[in-house]
Amino acid sequence: MVNIDNLKEEVKKLIVDGKVKYIIGYEKGRNGLMSNPIFIRKPEDVEKLVWDHSCVYNLAKFLVDEKRRKAREKQPDTKPVGVIVKGCDSRAIVVLLQEKFITRNDVYIIGLSCEKTGVVDERKLTKKLKQKIPEKIEAGEKDTFIITAADGKIEIPAEEILATRCLECKANFPVIYDVLFGEKTNRNVENPYKTLENIESLPQEGKWKFWEEQLSRCIRCYACRSACPMCYCDECVVDTINFAVTADTTAEEKAAKIKWLEKSPLSSENFVYHLVRAIHLAGRCVDCGECERVCPVHIPLRLLNKKLEKEAKELFGYEVGMDPSLPSLISCFKDEDPQDFIR
Amino acid sequence: MDHNIYIPKLAKIVQIKEEVGGARPIKTFRTNFLTNNDFVFRCGQCAMLSVFGKGEAMISISSPPFVKDYLQFSILKMGRVTSALHEMEVSDLIGIRGPYGNGFPVERWKGKNIIFIGGGIGLAPIWSVLQTALSKKEEYGDLTLIYGARTSKDLVFKEELKELKQKMPVYLSIDVKEPGWTEFVGFVPQNVLDKKPSPSNAIAITCGPPIMIKFVIKALKDLHFEDEQIYTTVENKMKCGIGKCGRCNIGYHYVCKDGPVYSWAELKKLPQEY
Amino acid sequence: MEKILTKKAFPQWIKKLESYKLYTPRKDEDIWNFEVTKDSENIELDYQNSVVSPKKIIFPQSEILLEFSSSGNNNLEIKEILPDNEAVVIFGLRPCDGRSLALIDKVFSGDFQDPYYWKRRNQTTLIGLSCLQPPSPNCFCLSVDGSPHSVEGLDILLTDLGDKFYVESLTEKGDKLLGKAKELFQEPKPEDKKAVKKIHLESEEKIKRRIKDIKSIPSKLKEMFDSPFWDEESLSCIRCGICTYLCPTCHCFDINDEVTSSSPLKGKRVRTWDTCQFPDFTMHSSGHNPRPDKASRLRQRMFHKFKYFVELYQNFQCIGCGRCISYCPVRIDIINVLDKVKDHGS
Repeated sequence: MVNIDNLKEEVKKLIVDGKVKYIIGYEKGRNGLMSNPIFIRKPEDVEKLVWDHSCVYNLAKFLVDEKRRKAREKQPDTKPVGVIVKGCDSRAIVVLLQEKFITRNDVYIIGLSCEKTGVVDERKLTKKLKQKIPEKIEAGEKDTFIITAADGKIEIPAEEILATRCLECKANFPVIYDVLFGEKTNRNVENPYKTLENIESLPQEGKWKFWEEQLSRCIRCYACRSACPMCYCDECVVDTINFAVTADTTAEEKAAKIKWLEKSPLSSENFVYHLVRAIHLAGRCVDCGECERVCPVHIPLRLLNKKLEKEAKELFGYEVGMDPSLPSLISCFKDEDPQDFIR
Repeated sequence: MDHNIYIPKLAKIVQIKEEVGGARPIKTFRTNFLTNNDFVFRCGQCAMLSVFGKGEAMISISSPPFVKDYLQFSILKMGRVTSALHEMEVSDLIGIRGPYGNGFPVERWKGKNIIFIGGGIGLAPIWSVLQTALSKKEEYGDLTLIYGARTSKDLVFKEELKELKQKMPVYLSIDVKEPGWTEFVGFVPQNVLDKKPSPSNAIAITCGPPIMIKFVIKALKDLHFEDEQIYTTVENKMKCGIGKCGRCNIGYHYVCKDGPVYSWAELKKLPQEY
Repeated sequence: MEKILTKKAFPQWIKKLESYKLYTPRKDEDIWNFEVTKDSENIELDYQNSVVSPKKIIFPQSEILLEFSSSGNNNLEIKEILPDNEAVVIFGLRPCDGRSLALIDKVFSGDFQDPYYWKRRNQTTLIGLSCLQPPSPNCFCLSVDGSPHSVEGLDILLTDLGDKFYVESLTEKGDKLLGKAKELFQEPKPEDKKAVKKIHLESEEKIKRRIKDIKSIPSKLKEMFDSPFWDEESLSCIRCGICTYLCPTCHCFDINDEVTSSSPLKGKRVRTWDTCQFPDFTMHSSGHNPRPDKASRLRQRMFHKFKYFVELYQNFQCIGCGRCISYCPVRIDIINVLDKVKDHGS
């Protein structure tokens, strides 16, 4: 069990001792059940920290923000940033380290183990509760959750409202940390790719039709990209202006920039955006599920990224985000890599 | 189609003059509308130039309103649209829609001395009001031009400046000494302090790179110009040109519609976010 | 005019509107959105509110302004592409979404009338459905001069009385729709009028979230332009476009040329929604960006909605639907920010 008081003590100590610039964690939601991200700089704010099944955010995302902020400062503070991570979040940090986007000294990792459970999927919960508004969530006795709403408590089997990615997660404890809270317990997961079964069984045309329908709702808000810690490029395929423009960038360079996507949310553009993003995340996506969670029109984005994660495992034996000393998948090769596509 | 504010009118390029070559080229374009040349505008207003397939760019009209034969634009090659414009040749077609913006309040300046202060491409927006005042010299007080650029090659309207010197005081400057240069060496704000224009019954108009404007305004304040006597133009990224797309706002003003001309007194009151 | 329409007669009225292109709220997976209805028999009435506001029907996310083509040798042709002539009915708007159109109307008129917006607006009739209870726990329409039964911007407002609708027709367009099936509408009785008043009052009381003293916000904001408050508030923002794209009153757009053939040149100039929260919204070609960080962009959003729009049009640019709160990936809460603005410095 993660002891919240021990966690708060550790965080307080880090701040008081000046070991970190600030700590990114979770605080109680100002509005409803789900927690919010919090940035703690002062010891008195440590009390606000929470740790429960509504802590869904991948806080590793804010390390990207921190790097951008440092780049704008003339004399940046070089102390590390503390971040509270779950298993999936820690794997995102591993990928950032593998790609040398940040160095190990930039971050102080406070790992929390999900043990045998995980985070709740707000959509599944809303469906279950219908009109009732949940206020609190606690673990029940026998693999259940107890939800407190305005008119009383309801007990729901955990399986029914846990995030699907949590149900398929084999090792829900951080793989990298400076300090760890909770036990490193493995789950017994029969099929880590169960989510893909339905769509994989469809014929080619069926798959196309499925995605055509799903992507027709896309409004290109780019929340999926914005929520993903791996989408940290200064200049993305969807951006038409080179963000890295300086006073010395010539007009020719700017004029020569290719517009890969039109801004209109046409079927063709939506396909290109999502498929290109999925390919750019192949071997890098850690299945934190944020992209699917934040999508306002409920596009099942996890399917795309999970499929490529499966390919990475089956073709190259690569498990994403496990060992920071390993190179990233796309930056290395082995002699045994499959070559049957070379004719 | 005449009433649709988003549809440009087609115009032909009738003259292209290379003002400045090199890495940051400036070309002056003169255009004629294909049909219906009743384009009426005020000094300081701008037009949206369309290069179809590339996009639009908001450029100030540098010819004075009383010239009916053509519209003149001086354009610095900066990005996608301006690069495409620089590739064009005489008789190529572009789109023009406008005029947009508030223009300079020249009627209010009758009888006053006007000091025009420009830097680099910044001479283009004030050229129109300078020519207008010059054409009716008897209605205005003393006219003075203080203008500079990085090097002598970066000055625009080089031929026109030679002619202008016969008609009114013109004080040029370049940043760094060059062989053969006999005028002021230094930045434009320094030249302003050197020439000490009097604030008495005067209006100062300044246009150029943002950093130059900042220091010119400071110099003019040091010379005891009031905030209401100093005018400048503001630049912001624009798309619609008519205050609807929400992009170019400073406070509740849209620069494309309520600007780009502001007195320092007005500009000070807006949030300093530009 | 005010009438009664029984729930039994309701599908018959809708059938009489077959000549119109009818948009109704429809569920797809578990999302409600306004879609063209082909089955007028089964209009679902137990919906809360759509994810994307019905503003998208009158001010679409992507819209062609003109087409250009050149057949070589310098003969460029421009063709204006106005929206098609079609009579449209949007059924089931919540009063807040109807109000949002009244607010956007102000932006697209003035010195320059926007022909694309007004063509669609003028050929669309809006049938609103008053809220019996707040569609979202984050509704706060009362605080921004709205109400669950507001008629602003709508042509007809329906209030559900159980077995019948109380029908208020507010404009000529509304009268025309009622006229398509005059015989189905009855005169309201005094008890009907009483019932409607009661329901309207009760629906107001059910709205839990309020912003007290919102009129003090514009002057409070004025003092806070340079405050580090915005750095703190924007820390968790991930700079996506959800708050602006789902907002019924946001109207910022981009104009781009989309080329389908480069030689001979053929393409179209398209207007698409844009958001002040994207980093490149205000970026100049030179690389200079007046709003280079999240703090200045969040500040712009708050100032535009609660100060600049008030200075221009004497209304807050917010209708209290709560979509930005419900769908923000990191739960940045506009009501919470406004409360903090009010308390700032005191």
